[in-house]
Amino acid sequence: MGMRRRTGGFVLAVNPIQCDGFGHCTELAPDLVRLDEWGYPIIDKTPVALSNLSALESARLAVRGCPRQALRIERVSDLPEGPAHRA
Amino acid sequence: MIGLTSPYLWYTTRATGLVTLILFTGVVVLGSLVANRVGGATVGRFELSELHRSLSIVAVIFLVLHIATTIVDSFVATGPISVLVPLTSSYKRVPVGLGAVAFDLILAVWISSLAKARLKNETWRFIHWFSWLGWAIAIVHAFLTGTDARTGIGLVLVTLCALAGALAGLWRFYARPARAAGRTALSPLAPAAEAPRREAPLRPTETPRREAPLRPAEAPRREPPPRLGESDEWPPTPAAFPHRPQDAPRRGRR
Repeated sequence: MGMRRRTGGFVLAVNPIQCDGFGHCTELAPDLVRLDEWGYPIIDKTPVALSNLSALESARLAVRGCPRQALRIERVSDLPEGPAHRA
Repeated sequence: MIGLTSPYLWYTTRATGLVTLILFTGVVVLGSLVANRVGGATVGRFELSELHRSLSIVAVIFLVLHIATTIVDSFVATGPISVLVPLTSSYKRVPVGLGAVAFDLILAVWISSLAKARLKNETWRFIHWFSWLGWAIAIVHAFLTGTDARTGIGLVLVTLCALAGALAGLWRFYARPARAAGRTALSPLAPAAEAPRREAPLRPTETPRREAPLRPAEAPRREPPPRLGESDEWPPTPAAFPHRPQDAPRRGRR
């Protein structure tokens, strides 16, 4: 019972050329994005499991909400087992 | 059916015209707020962005109403062509022509924003500058056409709109935070106005060299952000993200 099992993970990736530091991403995905002191995003490169639906949803909101369209979700097919990846 | 000769279409034209002007002034002001990176704890920046976007849709709907009722209405003789092509209206040639110019500009801005994903960002931003011109021409159009805008509450409204937009524009260009000025030098006014004053920290690429560069070990360590799902629980419960609305229990399945 329950949701479809998703395998693999994703990384929220930023294109630093397009980014203008609007800071919408950290508001929309506060668990994935924090800002450096200049207001530009710092995103952990460790993949997040696709089964983490709330993280995926917030990543999608951040991608959609970016005024410069500098964000994208990159899928990672292989997710290391165990606690090495982010849940 | 309301006859085309009835005055109600004409009243609708006038009323929607004023409402459209107010709405577009709001859109312009909100756009300035977004561009100058307003927002934070009380109102999120993304919320201002979304409001700018949604309000612009409402404004375009009212603009379409304003224009459609003008065409259909037979009280004043403006043809369907004069909506897009300036100076083709037999009724108040120049004022209605200015309205057509404003509509063309707003149309360009609107279409470019709809196609934003397909455009280069520079292209989109260049076209978006024309919203200022379109808004300003719309103010002049309102005043010159002036069935309502020259007396009483209409004049007050148009003047307030003009003031609000003009102030927003000045603030947009001259009170721009240095942080926002880094990359957005595409503005025709940006280089001259903003190059000398730079109070905020420089962009990382422009950081002046320190005398002795810090080695990684010496660099002040920041507390790493709390990782998602620090607990060993698998799959993680939404309790790991307690402050976000989307963690409310979902209804559908994915």
